[in-house]
Amino acid sequence: MKLRILLFAITLVFSSGLLAQTQADDPVSLVESITGAIFADVTENMEEYTANPEALEALVRRDLMPLLDINYSARLILGRAGRGLKQEKIDEFATSMTDLLVNRYAKGLLYFSSEVKIRVLPQRGELNEKLTRVRSRVVMPKGGEAPVDYAFHNTPDGWKAFDVIVEGISYVTTYRNQIMPEVKANGIDNVIERLNKGQLELAE
Amino acid sequence: MQKRLSLISLLILSLVLAGCAGTQSRHTDPENDPWEGYNRKVYAFNDGLDKVVRPVAVAYDKITPDPVQRGFGNFFRNLDAPVTYVNLVLQGKFKESVETIGRFLVNSTIGLLGFFDLASKWGLPYYNEDLGQTLATWGYEDSRYLMLPVFGPSTFRDGTGRLVDSYYHPVGRVLHGSNEWGLWIFRGIDTRARYLDQDAELQQAYDPYVLMRDVWIQNRQYQIYDGDPPMMDYDLYLDDYSEEEEPATEVDP
Repeated sequence: MKLRILLFAITLVFSSGLLAQTQADDPVSLVESITGAIFADVTENMEEYTANPEALEALVRRDLMPLLDINYSARLILGRAGRGLKQEKIDEFATSMTDLLVNRYAKGLLYFSSEVKIRVLPQRGELNEKLTRVRSRVVMPKGGEAPVDYAFHNTPDGWKAFDVIVEGISYVTTYRNQIMPEVKANGIDNVIERLNKGQLELAE
Repeated sequence: MQKRLSLISLLILSLVLAGCAGTQSRHTDPENDPWEGYNRKVYAFNDGLDKVVRPVAVAYDKITPDPVQRGFGNFFRNLDAPVTYVNLVLQGKFKESVETIGRFLVNSTIGLLGFFDLASKWGLPYYNEDLGQTLATWGYEDSRYLMLPVFGPSTFRDGTGRLVDSYYHPVGRVLHGSNEWGLWIFRGIDTRARYLDQDAELQQAYDPYVLMRDVWIQNRQYQIYDGDPPMMDYDLYLDDYSEEEEPATEVDP
């Protein structure tokens, strides 16, 4: 019971943004505190979230999304295909990506959070002013670890993650090489439509 | 000898069949993949071969309990140890090479022919090296992407390395006249079964060939740097916005 209250307090602090001011905001601490809080919340309220996935998506949107710079990821992914596009189109694309990501992450949480553990490795060397990598390990229940890294860059709003790298495979690079030719061939509107549809399919 | 011929004829067959397959020859990455036209044909051939291999791998995955499958995985991984040992020495990683001998001895005996990875529990970590990685650490860093028939993604460097390693690999020796084909095929099925989870992702991709190439090249880089590759230069991706050159695909559809 005590734990529940504590967790409630943590979420409260998070949502009100108080923590951001009191706590160190280097990337390693950010990853540690935010993934820790989300995992704890999901483990604690598993039944509620299984019954009501929208509530979990809302949690992910509120707690995880502020840590990410999806607009920057979208620009990197669109690359040359984004040249000449209006800013609204790029924003629209970023929104579709966000929806897809939130949906997938929430699904993954329901599936994995009770089994896997996240171990964030300490920052190595001096913290670069602009760019850094946070290294973590996803510890599987049956042994074995998957290395997951996050690329962060420093923005006026603090450190934000824009890429996930699993066993050396960058989400941005891999996704970019699929999206760029698709946008060139089918146009950005069709791609956005497909992403939104994919979101629906995944939600079912 | 006869069996050895059959593999060579399989490779030749793959090239002939590849000639028939009507795949598009594009140039999505001229720098890393100048042989894309050829590679796509071999990819199509492997994809055809997979129509036979995949169902077997699915069945194997279904009927084999997870712990047993892990055991087979450990068994085959243990047989890589001689190749890893030699290449650790070639790379000057002597402490790791001694640990690898220790692993091999422990797992091959007490670990019942490698079925149980006791060494990892006893603090002898697993390393994975091969001649391709050794050549890369010696300075042969960039090599052309090369799709191998049957074996799948590789580079010219790694394909050559693989051939040399296979001369003294307990299972790979089958390509040079050893008669343990059953083991070789079984390893292939076991390996294929480990990638079943990724099939859906690959099929849904806009360009599965490119997805496989990207994933393989990046993961290979990760192996070469022993899990710690340098951070890539994301700024290059943004430079695309200011570049003036027109994409080649619009000139040559």
